[in-house]
Amino acid sequence: MAMSAVARDTVFALRRQIAKIEGTLPERLEVPAPGASADTAGSDITIVRRGLAVAPQDAFLRTGIERLDAALGGGLPKAALSEIHGLETRDAGAVAGFALSLTSLILKEKQGLPVLWIGTAEIFREAGFPYASGLHALFGIEPEQLLFSEAPKLPDALWIAEEAARMTAFAAVMLEIRGSPQRLDLTATRRLHARAQSAGRPVLLLRQAGEAEPTAAPVRLIVSAAPAASRETVAGPLAGSIGRPAFTVDIGKSRTALPGQFTLEWNPDEHAFAERAENPVAVVSASARGTDPTPASGAVLAFPAVASPAPGDKPSRQQRPAHRSPRRTG
Amino acid sequence: MISHRDNNAQRIAALDERAEALKLKRGMGIADARAMHPAIDVVEADAEADRRLLEGLADWCDRYTPLVAIDGDDGLFLDVTGCTHLFGGERAMQDEILTRFFEQGFDVRAGLACTPGAAWAAARFHGDRIVAGGEEEALLSPLPLSALRIAPETRTSLESVGLRTVGAVMAAPRAPLARRFGAALLVRLDQALGRLDEAVSPRLPVAPLSVERHLAEPVVLTDDIERLVSRLAVALKSDLERRSEGARTLALLLFRVDGAVSRIAVGTSRPMREPQLIRKLFHERLAALEQNIDAGFGFDLVRLSVLSVAAFDMLQGDLAGEVADDDADIALFADRIRARLSDAAVLKPVVVESHLPERAVAVVPFAEAPQRRMPATDRATPPMTIYPPERPVRLFRSPEPIEVPATEIPEGPPMNFRWRRALYRVARAEGPERIAAEWWRPGEEGAPTRDYYRIEDSEGRRYWLYRQGLYSASQAAPRWFMHGVFA
Repeated sequence: MAMSAVARDTVFALRRQIAKIEGTLPERLEVPAPGASADTAGSDITIVRRGLAVAPQDAFLRTGIERLDAALGGGLPKAALSEIHGLETRDAGAVAGFALSLTSLILKEKQGLPVLWIGTAEIFREAGFPYASGLHALFGIEPEQLLFSEAPKLPDALWIAEEAARMTAFAAVMLEIRGSPQRLDLTATRRLHARAQSAGRPVLLLRQAGEAEPTAAPVRLIVSAAPAASRETVAGPLAGSIGRPAFTVDIGKSRTALPGQFTLEWNPDEHAFAERAENPVAVVSASARGTDPTPASGAVLAFPAVASPAPGDKPSRQQRPAHRSPRRTG
Repeated sequence: MISHRDNNAQRIAALDERAEALKLKRGMGIADARAMHPAIDVVEADAEADRRLLEGLADWCDRYTPLVAIDGDDGLFLDVTGCTHLFGGERAMQDEILTRFFEQGFDVRAGLACTPGAAWAAARFHGDRIVAGGEEEALLSPLPLSALRIAPETRTSLESVGLRTVGAVMAAPRAPLARRFGAALLVRLDQALGRLDEAVSPRLPVAPLSVERHLAEPVVLTDDIERLVSRLAVALKSDLERRSEGARTLALLLFRVDGAVSRIAVGTSRPMREPQLIRKLFHERLAALEQNIDAGFGFDLVRLSVLSVAAFDMLQGDLAGEVADDDADIALFADRIRARLSDAAVLKPVVVESHLPERAVAVVPFAEAPQRRMPATDRATPPMTIYPPERPVRLFRSPEPIEVPATEIPEGPPMNFRWRRALYRVARAEGPERIAAEWWRPGEEGAPTRDYYRIEDSEGRRYWLYRQGLYSASQAAPRWFMHGVFA
């Protein structure tokens, strides 16, 4: 309450003027953070975001996960550059999978539009070339919709991405880069971001084994693989099987600057995300009563016998079928 | 002086005027020549370089006529039928050609006649002569037999019977000549005299359409060249419209003042005739070639040719006057990238019927890929499978060998493996999915089968491994490979 009403009006008038110059109107953003209670900060807090005020509801790609959307301030901006990082090159599968699931969500609205995937020759050699039948099965992207572009060098890849980002004929453009090259600096990302904004199409920048550097992208997500849940069968989860793809998503940068870590599971049938509970109890034993496969002989403990707790809902060692566990003598 | 190796002896192959003044001759041994004049400068002959030079000259002669053929090691045929008026008549054209070659430092003989044979003889035995129609006989009669382009053996045997000039051969009765010296002699004679047609096969295919512009002031800057391209493309457009065709391959020829010719070709994935688009394509190509094109003192002739055409479908615009065609946008985008980088820069997956994962999806360059179909209308419904086989999102182009120290059971999944020098512990495994080699293809009859496993490592990453071959006492131990990565 330090500000008088007059001063406040002046501030608002100035903000409005700035917005007019920038061509957008500022808008009020509700504070979604549960930690920041309203009584301590007071009602003076006004978070202003700019640049995306034209159609706020339509400007965001909703991931379908309430918490993640809230932490991102409404979802992933559609007309923008978004960075998706993988910590190591071997995470390339998870990073590409997450980016493709976002693309699949985009394609729900823009059916039939092609998707362009740009990469340098290096990344396609190190991390593998995108495999069209896998993409079709998991993400529903038809092979005819896919276009790949393999650039011999990074400047070429950036040039292709800039040319593609200004086109409205693509549903999404993915640019995949390995490492932290000098060329991919703030200027380069700003160029991509500006083109994506004016074309109104998302550009996903996939950075394998890259460091968090200054970027013009409003959102940076750090993706790594999470252990998959078991396959669901009529008789309950099938022990030892590998189910739907799962990702661990950290928010590295977002407009709300709220931290968060999410474990998402991609549903390839409905083409939607589902969030997995933080720390589920082992699910296998819950559905006992005869429908279970015969448990392995030996003691069944309440806690996993291994020192490190089994992450996610991976079944513990004892609950796996006998032939999968290490041989025991005696 | 240029030497070449002939019968194990270095001999003089060619020599300049100063060497001729020293009474040296062609065919003389280098050792003899050195003994006479120790100071002579000898260069080894380089047939390859000579050929390249001749081809360069042929390229340059493209400015006079599109029909240029290479004749032997040291000659060029130019079919100037219908081209002479562009250069002010036959005399003016020949003078211009000779002057330009002289300015470039070449000593050139030229002859112009109605038949290739007569022109050949005129060039070689007169140097600078224009033979009017009907004068071939008068030209050839006094010339020696080598003017007839016949084999040396025929020539010597003709000379041995006293026929030393073309006139003598013409006067001799034809039937005995043909019987004794073969039909080739008379064919050559008739060709030279115009009784038989002789086709000169041009070294480059003749472009169906081409427009060019001679420049009084040579251009050097890339921007100027691009501006010229769009002007030429405007001229080309009306021609293409009249033929209701569009260009599929375009070539830009830049003739440098001093004789070098740059040929820049671009391909389009769909027929094109818009000057703006053509200019855009050449803009990318020129930007990519910036280092390779040496403008030197400038280009004084710019030609834009259409090398191949295809039928052009007209599109009806809507009332706002806009034709919204995403496919065309993408095709143009792909063409620009191809022009700048290479044909393989834009790729398209094509599903192929095959069991082998690496063969099931072929990745082909954009221009060769079949046109995109309308989504999901004509597509046959895929067979209903409850569990479609799991396929990775990324596939390595060549499967990478991994080390597998141990498996739980001989034919089972590995317990851990080493890939790219890092050790992975297998937490879960699914499989195997056995994929046999395609025995009906030649060369793959005995190829080992592969057992594919989906593997999740202790950190949750999912991989696609396979074991090539089976465990058995007689065969070598099977090898393991990493083939793909799952999401």
